[in-house]
Amino acid sequence: MSVETPALSRLVPIRRWKSFFESYGQEFVILAALIVLFVGVGLYNPRFISTNNLTSMFVGNAYIAIAAIGMSMVIISGNIDVSVGSLIGVLGTISGTMAVSGYPIILCWLVPILIGMVINAGVGVLVAYVKIPSIVVTLGMLSILKGGLISVTGGAWISGMPPEFMIAQFRLFGLPSSVYFMVVLTVLAALWMKYSVFGRTIYAIGGNPEAARVSGIRIQPSIVGVFTIHGMFAGFAAVLFATQLQVIQSTVPPNLELTVITASVVGGVSILGGTGTVLGSTLAAILFAAIGSSLVFLNVSAYWLRAVQGLMILATVLADMARRRRI
Amino acid sequence: MTNLLEVSGISKSFGPVKVLKEISFDVRPGEVHALLGENGAGKSTLIKIVAGVINADEGEVRLDGKAVRFSSPREAAAHGIATVYQELLLFPDLSVAENIYLGHAPKTKWGTLDWNAMRAGARALLDSLDSPDLDVDTTVGKLSVANRQRVEIAKALSQDAKLVIMDEPTAALADADARRLMDVVKRLRDRGVGIIYVSHRLPEIFALADRVTVLRDGAYVGTKPIGEVTEGDLVSMMVGRAIDHLFPKVDTTPGETILEVKNLTYRNTVNDISLTVRAGEIVGIAGLIGSGRTELALTIFGITPATSGEILIDGKPVTISSPDDARRLKIAYVPEDRGSQGLIRPQTVRENVSLAILDRIARAFVVDRRKESALAKDAIERFGIRTRGPEQRVKQLSGGNQQKVVLAKWIATEPRVLIMDEPTRGIDVGAKAEIHALMSRLAGQGLAVLMISSELPEVLGMSDRVLVMRGGRIVAQFDRKDATPDAVGAAMTAAKAGASLESAPAGLRGAAAL
Amino acid sequence: MATMVMNRMLRHEVILAALLIAALIVLAGQSEHFWTADNLLNQGRLMAEVGLIALPMTFVIVTGGIDLSVGSIFGLSAILLGVFWQNLGMPLPVAMLGAVIVGAVAGLGNGFIITRFKVPPLIATLATLALYRGLAEGISQARSVRGYPDWFLGLGTNDLLGVPNQLWLMILCFVIAAFILGMTTFGRTTYAIGSNEVAARFSGLRVDRAKLLIYGASGLIAGLAAVIFVSRVSTTRSDMGTGLELDVITAVVLGGTSIFGGRGTIIGTGLGLILMQALKNGLALSGVKGDGTIVVIGAVLIAAILVGNLLSRDGD
Repeated sequence: MSVETPALSRLVPIRRWKSFFESYGQEFVILAALIVLFVGVGLYNPRFISTNNLTSMFVGNAYIAIAAIGMSMVIISGNIDVSVGSLIGVLGTISGTMAVSGYPIILCWLVPILIGMVINAGVGVLVAYVKIPSIVVTLGMLSILKGGLISVTGGAWISGMPPEFMIAQFRLFGLPSSVYFMVVLTVLAALWMKYSVFGRTIYAIGGNPEAARVSGIRIQPSIVGVFTIHGMFAGFAAVLFATQLQVIQSTVPPNLELTVITASVVGGVSILGGTGTVLGSTLAAILFAAIGSSLVFLNVSAYWLRAVQGLMILATVLADMARRRRI
Repeated sequence: MTNLLEVSGISKSFGPVKVLKEISFDVRPGEVHALLGENGAGKSTLIKIVAGVINADEGEVRLDGKAVRFSSPREAAAHGIATVYQELLLFPDLSVAENIYLGHAPKTKWGTLDWNAMRAGARALLDSLDSPDLDVDTTVGKLSVANRQRVEIAKALSQDAKLVIMDEPTAALADADARRLMDVVKRLRDRGVGIIYVSHRLPEIFALADRVTVLRDGAYVGTKPIGEVTEGDLVSMMVGRAIDHLFPKVDTTPGETILEVKNLTYRNTVNDISLTVRAGEIVGIAGLIGSGRTELALTIFGITPATSGEILIDGKPVTISSPDDARRLKIAYVPEDRGSQGLIRPQTVRENVSLAILDRIARAFVVDRRKESALAKDAIERFGIRTRGPEQRVKQLSGGNQQKVVLAKWIATEPRVLIMDEPTRGIDVGAKAEIHALMSRLAGQGLAVLMISSELPEVLGMSDRVLVMRGGRIVAQFDRKDATPDAVGAAMTAAKAGASLESAPAGLRGAAAL
Repeated sequence: MATMVMNRMLRHEVILAALLIAALIVLAGQSEHFWTADNLLNQGRLMAEVGLIALPMTFVIVTGGIDLSVGSIFGLSAILLGVFWQNLGMPLPVAMLGAVIVGAVAGLGNGFIITRFKVPPLIATLATLALYRGLAEGISQARSVRGYPDWFLGLGTNDLLGVPNQLWLMILCFVIAAFILGMTTFGRTTYAIGSNEVAARFSGLRVDRAKLLIYGASGLIAGLAAVIFVSRVSTTRSDMGTGLELDVITAVVLGGTSIFGGRGTIIGTGLGLILMQALKNGLALSGVKGDGTIVVIGAVLIAAILVGNLLSRDGD
C-alpha cells in the first residue's frame, strides 16, 4: 500500500527509496508478520485462508482499524484515549436506535459521527485547556459513557433495522464495503497526516512540545482538533460496528479500547509521541484480527487472545525504548 | 554606510543580578562580528535581546537605523534577524525541507502545503550553503550534528535574514565540519548578510571575523578590528588584568590524598582522567562548555558510572555505580543546575536539608522531626541562609540562599570529598563572597574540595591547584603561583596550541545520558 | 509540630472532610436506611477491596506514576487462588498465600519494566493490564471455581467484635500506610521522587529500589484484596476486578493526591474513599443501579482533578 503522491513518485532517486524503507520499517515488519501468519496457519489449516474466513475477518474488524486511525493521531500528539470502546458502543447504539425509529438513513449515519466529534472535543478541551492528563479524562469518560449506556438501555438488543441502513453489509465487486472504507480512510488519513499543515503540527507537538511552542505553533487548539477528529473516526467505526450484524447489543464491546490502542502501538505509533503512521496501525489491526482468527483455526482457546495483546504491546514498547534509549 | 544593527546602552537584570551593564556595539552589513567573553559574561543575554526572545530593561536597539523593540522571536525573524542556537530546535521526525520552512511554509492557492515549492526552496538554500549532498527529504533525526546545524542555518536563511546570530556554532563539530561551516559563514558575509558570531575559539575568530567585541562580567570592554589585536590581547580583555583579591582564601597545608582518580573514562565524554585531591586542598577545574568537567563530576559521583579506570578513596579502590555509593563513601556533589538537580523546589528548607541523610536522622525508619528541625535551624545559622525559617519553601529563596541550602544538605552528610559544580553561578556578589568563605572554611576543616567553575577569577582566586580540561581530557595543570589568567585562559581556548583548530569534544552538556 | 501537620493538610483535606460531612448529612436525611449501624458496617465491608488497593496506589501516584493493572492483578490472583486450591490440590491457606505472592510478582513485574527499561508507567501498566487479565482469562478458560470451605467464606463475611473482618484489616493497613508515608524515610523518598525525581537521585536516594517496592506492594495488596473478595463472594471468575482501577484512582485523587506527583496523604485517600463509598451507597439507596453509579464515579474523577487544578493555580 504505497502512500506517496503521484507527483512525488515521478522523481525517484535511489536515496529516496532507502529512506522510504527506513521510515516505514515497522510497517514492513507487520506486513511480514502477516504473511508469515497467513502462510503458517494456512498450511496448518487451509480453511483459515478461505475467502469466507478472510471476508468475515475483514468485515468483523475493519471498524477497529478505522478507530485506530483516530487513536494513532491522538497518541502521536502525545496523549491517549482509553474511552474509545465505550464511545463506539454509545454511538453504535444511537445509530441503531435512530434507524429503528425511522429517522432518515443518512442521519443515522451522520449523527453518531457528529456526536462523537462533540464528545471528544469536550475531552480535548479538558486536556488542552484545563490541563487534566488525557489518561484521567478518558478514564473518567470511559465510565461515564459505559455506565450511561447500560443505565439507559439495560444492554438490550436492537433489531429490526432497515436493510438500507446496513452500510457495512453493502458489497461492491464482491467485497464488503467495510474493506473499502478501511482502505480509503487509511490512505486519506495517512496522506493527510504526512502532508497537511495540521498533520505535521501534530507530529511536532508530540515529538518536541517545547520546540513546538517556541516555533509559534498553537498547541491547545491543535489538541482539541486532534481529539475531535478522533471522535469522527470513532463515529465512523461505530456506524460500521452497528451495521455489520442484523442485531446490535447495546453494550460496550469488551476490550475494544485496548485492541484499538494495541493496533496503534504495535503499528509503530510510539507512546512517547511524535512518531508512527496511520498505515502501520491499520496493518496492525489486521494482524491482530488475523491472530485472533487464527487461534480458532489452531485450536487454541480464544481466551488467550488478550494475553497475546498484552505481550504484543509490551514487546513493541520495549523494542521502541531500546531503539530510543539504547538500553 | 549605515550600520545594520546598533545596540546602545543596553542593560538587563534578572532579579537582583545585573547581567548587562550599558552595552553598546554595532554590526555592519557584510561583516562577521565576533562576540567574545567568558561564560556568564552576558553574551547569551545580549543576543537574546537582539533576537527578540527577551527585552532589555534600558537602552535601544536599532535595525537599519530604525529603533525596534521586538515582542517575540517571530517578530525579530520577520524583520530579518535569524538565530542559530546551540541547542538545536529541530523536529527529528520531520524532513529537512519541513524543518527549514516550519512556521512559514509556502502554501498552494487552496491553502495546503506547497510541497514542491518547499522542497525546491530547501534544495536551493542548501546548495547555496555548499551542501548538495544533503537530501531535503531525509528526516532530521537521522542527520549528524554538523548536518543538523546546516539545516538550522538554512532555516535562518529561508527567512531572508539580514542579520544572522550564531551562538557557538562549532562547539559540537569536528575539524572538517567546522571548516566547512566557516566557509558557509564566509559565503553569507559575501552576500551582504551581517553576522554576529559568538565563539570561544580564538583561532576561528581570527580566521573569520572582521571585528571582535569583548564582554566581561556584563560590561563592554572594547571592539577592535581583527587585524589590530593578538590572541594575548583578547585573552586579557576577556579575563581582566586584576584578579579581585576578595577571595578569602585560607592558606592550608594539604594533608593526605583522599580522592584519587586513575585513567577514568566514560564513553567518549570523559577521557582517561587522572587526578588527586588532598585533604584541605581546593582543586579548581577550568574549561569551556563542553570540555567534560561536569561529565567528570557525574562519573565520580556515580550518576554515569565509569566505563573504565579506577577511583580510590584513601588509597583503596572503590566502585561507585550510583549516587548512593558515592554518598556512602563520603563524596558529596553540589550540582551545576541547582533548581532541577540540587533542590526539591516545592519542598521546605527543612525537608531539603535532610534529604541526603534521611537514614541518619531516623530511628527505626521513622524520621525524627525534632532532629530534623534542629538540623535545619543549625544549617540556617551556620550557613547564614536568609529565610523566614525552616518551613519556608525553597523556591521562594534567592539564588544565593538556595545554593546555601544545597551546600547545607551535603555538608550534613559529613563528606570528606566535596565536588562543587559552578558554585556561584547566578548568584549576586555578596552571596558569592559568603559561599567562597564557606568553601575556604570547609577546606580548612580538612575536606578535599574539587571545584568546577567557568569564572576564571573564581578559579584563580580560590584554588590551590588548577586543572584545565578540554575535550574530556586534562590538558594543563598549574600550581596556585603559576596560575595566571593568561596561562589558564590560553590553555582553555587552545590559543597557544598551534595552527590547527582544536577538535571538538563529542559531549555537550546535554549529552550525558541520565 | 501540630502546626506543621495542619499547614500541610489545610486546603484540600479540610474541604474534603467538610464535603464528606455534608454528604453524610444529606444521605442520612434522604434514606432512613443509611445511618444505621448495619448499613454503615456493611459499607465498610464492601469498600475493603478498593480501600486496600488505594493505599499503595497513593504511593504510586505520589511518585508521579500510575498503576492501571491493579484490576487485572486482582483478577489473576483470584483465578490462581482457585487454580492452586482446586486444580493443583494445595491446602487452602497455602493457595491463599500463593495468590498473594502472585500479586506481588505481577507488581514487581510492573516495577521492573518501569525501572529497568524506563517504560513510562502509563503504558507499562496498560500493557500489563492486558497481559495479566489475558493470563487470567487464558488460565481459567472462563470456568469459575466454587465450593470453598465455610471457614474460608467466613473470613469475608463474618465479624469480629461486631465489625466486619476486612474492615479491621483495612483500618490496620491504613494506619500502617499512613505511618509509612507520613513519618518514615521511605515516605520522604516517595514524596521526593514525585516532586523532583532527578534531584532525589542526585541526593543519593535509591529511586529505582523505591519504585520497585511501591509497584510490588501495589500488586501484593491487589492479590490480598482478591483473596478477601473471593471469600466474600464465594466464587472466582476471570473478570473480577474489571474497572477496579477506576475506583481506586478516583478515591486517591479525590483524597487530594496530585496526579502529577509530590503531594498527597493517606488520610486524604481515606476521606476520598469514604466519600466515594457514601456516594455509591446513596445512589444505590435511591434506586440507581450499579451502572448508573459508575457514571457518577467517572464524573467525580474528572471533577476532582479539575477542582484540584484550579486550587493549585491559586498558588501553592
